[in-house]
Amino acid sequence: MNPVIWRVRDADSADLATISHWLRREALPATAPGEAVLVAARADDPAAHAQVTLRLVPRIGLVLPRVSFHVGCTVHAAPELALFHRQRTLQLGHDHTGCAELADIARAPRLDDRSATDALLALAHAALDRRVARSGDFGTDLVAELPGLRDADGSAPFWQGLGRHFYAGDIAAAAAEHGPGWRSHVAALLPRQTVSTAFLPEATQAAIGAVHPGARWQWAALTEIGLRDSHHVNVEDGGPVLEMPLPAPESAPSAG
Amino acid sequence: MNPDSFRLRAARPDDIDAFVRIAGASATGITTLPEDRAQLADRLNRSTQAGASSDEPSGEEIHLFVVEHDGRIVGTSGIAASAGFADRFYSFRNEMVVQSSPVLAASNRIHTLHLCHDLTGHTLLTSFYIDPEYEATLAPQLLSRARLLFIAEFAERFSDRIASESPGLADDNGRCPFWDAVGRRFFAMDYPQVERLAGGRHKRFIAELMPQAPIYVPLLPNEAQWAIGQLHPVAELPFSILEDEGFDSETYVDIFDGGPTVDARVAMLKSVKASRAAQVVAAASAAPGNGPSSWHIVANTRRDHFAAVLRHAERGTTDLALGDATCQALAVEPGDRLRVVALEGSAA
Repeated sequence: MNPVIWRVRDADSADLATISHWLRREALPATAPGEAVLVAARADDPAAHAQVTLRLVPRIGLVLPRVSFHVGCTVHAAPELALFHRQRTLQLGHDHTGCAELADIARAPRLDDRSATDALLALAHAALDRRVARSGDFGTDLVAELPGLRDADGSAPFWQGLGRHFYAGDIAAAAAEHGPGWRSHVAALLPRQTVSTAFLPEATQAAIGAVHPGARWQWAALTEIGLRDSHHVNVEDGGPVLEMPLPAPESAPSAG
Repeated sequence: MNPDSFRLRAARPDDIDAFVRIAGASATGITTLPEDRAQLADRLNRSTQAGASSDEPSGEEIHLFVVEHDGRIVGTSGIAASAGFADRFYSFRNEMVVQSSPVLAASNRIHTLHLCHDLTGHTLLTSFYIDPEYEATLAPQLLSRARLLFIAEFAERFSDRIASESPGLADDNGRCPFWDAVGRRFFAMDYPQVERLAGGRHKRFIAELMPQAPIYVPLLPNEAQWAIGQLHPVAELPFSILEDEGFDSETYVDIFDGGPTVDARVAMLKSVKASRAAQVVAAASAAPGNGPSSWHIVANTRRDHFAAVLRHAERGTTDLALGDATCQALAVEPGDRLRVVALEGSAA
């Protein structure tokens, strides 16, 4: 079987309607300089229906602060007590402020994982090329958040063990009202000081940095282009934030 | 039991058998007395030296007291001149953090525990124990409050701030909900094991291994949250005396069991404020008083042979007529200086 060839283009208004359906929220057109909503369609599809999408954001966190937990480590050691104990810690911060981002990654529900990974890879390469063409608009690092673990009912063990104690409101309602930026607002209520993960339930600890099984196709493509675990996680579901430095424009390969 | 049959005095090295009995009788964490004869003997020696020494105080001094009933020791109490002497004294400080998100129209009020050294250098009340059959008498009052008169009398040897630890919740097997939720996550040790270590030089090690960032209390199990600042039932009596003296119990808790650590300014304590100097007069030469009378703690002002008794006296009087037996119990004679304070609520 010949490999599928993917064509990448900017989303049009019909695509945005489709993407809104995939994301279960309104997908807005690109507005900032360098920003783009890209879709991948099969080269052999005469109608060129969008199958996978991403949004390329040149810089994040400059209007609404972008929060995440940094996953750190402290060692409690006392030779006198024959004790050596390694602890993971969570520290709320805005470490990715100013980075470029691959956001709003979504796919057509019936597309298989392998094809979705290939299509996302094509989109990511196209996004990197866009950035080379307008490097002045972009941050020096690229990040992408992956969805974290959720129970069958959609609740995230990470939130249940941590965030819920600081914001008792309905997070689905907050997300519906404020969009993805709701996390920036809820961050004002989250712990500012380092949290030792030893105080969190086991299910919450297990969710730190874990990728939702339904998002492994994304992980495969994003790590293929060079994104790596940044030891940061999303404040809602504990999903990992991947990161890579973007090559300096003069050393970047030509966009062709 | 007649209150005037109790006598508090400075402990002596030959009280060792009584201290061994009392240290063994108290449950885990109840007193600060170690269950080790050699260590107890060392403390009694140090207490005697501290009472007799004419050296400038270093802060290392401890003072132990006993209360006797008909010559038998039925309780103990103590003072450590400077908490954490030459090292840090660790506590958790209760703090509230209020955060808000105007956009989400939400705010929270979060209880946090901060590891701190605030009480380092405070004078510390320690080693309180009373035999259960004496709990309902005035002996515990004498035992706890007379040491405040000692501090007031020799104020230059103590801090102007004072604190006292009280045991927190633990069951008979030593299971302690606060320890299980906090300390145990950093050391895989049961509370009784830690208690033994903490009694010695390892306390600082253990404290330094606790998380240095504030602990967000809502993240702890409910049982542990509830245990913060809760007293072990056996400590209710000595704790109630300290509360009555004016100690504050809201600010600090013990880093191991979450029990309340009370603190105060010495000068603001009820017995210190109300105490006054008096002098011994011969019983025969005393003019009969007409004012209201009540039970008083009557203490001598001898650091080396401190002693105190309960006597009925006229309120406000500065001349105390003491019989021969009382003079003997206090090792005083007419003309000697006393420090006295009325026990409130004990008017006859």
